[in-house]
Amino acid sequence: MSNDEIFAAAYREHYWAVTRYVARRLDGRAGDVEEVVAEVFTVAWRRRADLPAAALPWLYGVARNCLANAVRGHGRRRRLVDRLGNDDTAHGRHIAAGPDADTPGGWVHEALARLSAADQEVLRLTAWEQLGIDEVAVVLGCGNRAASMRLHRARRRLRAEIDRMRPGPPIAEHSCMTAPKEHGHG
Amino acid sequence: MADELELLRGADPAPPDGPHFGDGPLDHNAERRLEQLLRDPGNGLPARPGGRPGLLPGRLRDLLLPGPRRLRLAWGVVATGVVAALTLTLVLSGPSTPPAVAAPRPLVVETGSTPVSLRHMAERAAAVAETSDAPRLRKGTHVQSWSLGMSDDKPPITLPEERIVRWRADDSHTELVVATDPRHPGRPVLSDAGGEPHLVDDGHVLLDRTYPPSWSDAPPKSPPPRDPARLRVYLMEAQYTDTPLTTPELLDAMATLLDHWTLGARESAALARLLAGAEGLRPVGRVTDRLGRRGQAYVNDTGGVRRMLIMDPATGAVLGLESTLTAPEPAFGVEEGDVMSYSAWMR
Repeated sequence: MSNDEIFAAAYREHYWAVTRYVARRLDGRAGDVEEVVAEVFTVAWRRRADLPAAALPWLYGVARNCLANAVRGHGRRRRLVDRLGNDDTAHGRHIAAGPDADTPGGWVHEALARLSAADQEVLRLTAWEQLGIDEVAVVLGCGNRAASMRLHRARRRLRAEIDRMRPGPPIAEHSCMTAPKEHGHG
Repeated sequence: MADELELLRGADPAPPDGPHFGDGPLDHNAERRLEQLLRDPGNGLPARPGGRPGLLPGRLRDLLLPGPRRLRLAWGVVATGVVAALTLTLVLSGPSTPPAVAAPRPLVVETGSTPVSLRHMAERAAAVAETSDAPRLRKGTHVQSWSLGMSDDKPPITLPEERIVRWRADDSHTELVVATDPRHPGRPVLSDAGGEPHLVDDGHVLLDRTYPPSWSDAPPKSPPPRDPARLRVYLMEAQYTDTPLTTPELLDAMATLLDHWTLGARESAALARLLAGAEGLRPVGRVTDRLGRRGQAYVNDTGGVRRMLIMDPATGAVLGLESTLTAPEPAFGVEEGDVMSYSAWMR
């Protein structure tokens, strides 16, 4: 297959996984998700000669950089629309409302938000994108040992935050992940 | 009790089996972007914010166009030579020269006209829906629209275009977009297709595409229901929210719906019933829209924006929606009364 065909196959296979990756990190700004995903694949297209056989972690890495840019340059029109307050994204309601404070999701999100950005990312990649440690390393652009160490520390800190927010019996020590991975990643 | 990773996994805001972004075939926009990338082996620049298409070499699609529009397009081509010199002059003179076709004025309510209540309009739409030769639901849209284009270093401009989306029996569809300003037939039209604002001929084809078969059972791509309560839920889904829509949200959701479907009389009746129940949407009288159609106008002022809904007094069908600013925003170069966007839907 040519690079173009390989790219097209990766696009079709991973489009929704990349979209979810972006949506999870644009909390309340779902109006921007499609735009950022388009940017991810445009960048990936320019770099299609580098596309590895296991494309999804690599695409997540591209998406990570695009998201950093999207957060920095929110755009003039967006600022206007936000200021006018007439846009769903300004109210954080574009995505179906997340779990409220009474559901486990609400306080887990809150606990996650108390961690550093680096801790949050390694945890999200593991729990939401369901990547193995070698794949996390690809996304973060570090070695396997470093990724493993980051995850270990981030888990410990998340557990501490959860315990702090939910007094009571401590939660179980972490076990190996056995859940099936996100469908379709390579 | 679950460990921290399991708790986190349970709090995934976009799970693979969730209502949005679940695995499956690509949607319309994703297909379009892939196609654009594959056609542009160079640098791949199709994905401009807002998803406006790049400037493509166009060709007329007579079969796609209804009669009057076909005439308009053909006329636009004939006029090309006439306006070419003017266009060239304006383009070469740079963006500092304000084009004559820049900003539409907001619609004006006719003084002395009698407002008609939305309840009355809903009753009329319901009566039309009972007739035997009432219009039927049709997938696709035909819309004349403007939107305010903004950049960080240039004054805002407006971008008039006409879009026709038609679906075929095999679930493939075609999309044709031409630059045209119905207020100034034959005159150059400002467009930002291709990246930079520039003038193009009236009738210039901005996009002419055929898309392979695709299918979705999620609003706004699934057929809209004919029952007001179910339509309300449908519009909430189309807006990706599970809370009741405010009036501005309802109007925006309505625009999303009409950008995907040409409603039949029964769907129009359901929509009119919903609109009649919306708070803060008040009748103001008669307007003539930019396509020369008489309509009844209803306005809602929220958050610095006035939304004006225009409905056909004869059928209760929605004709258009206009958003204007109700306060100046000097930092953004826009003033009170400036039109932010406008859509006029046709059959």
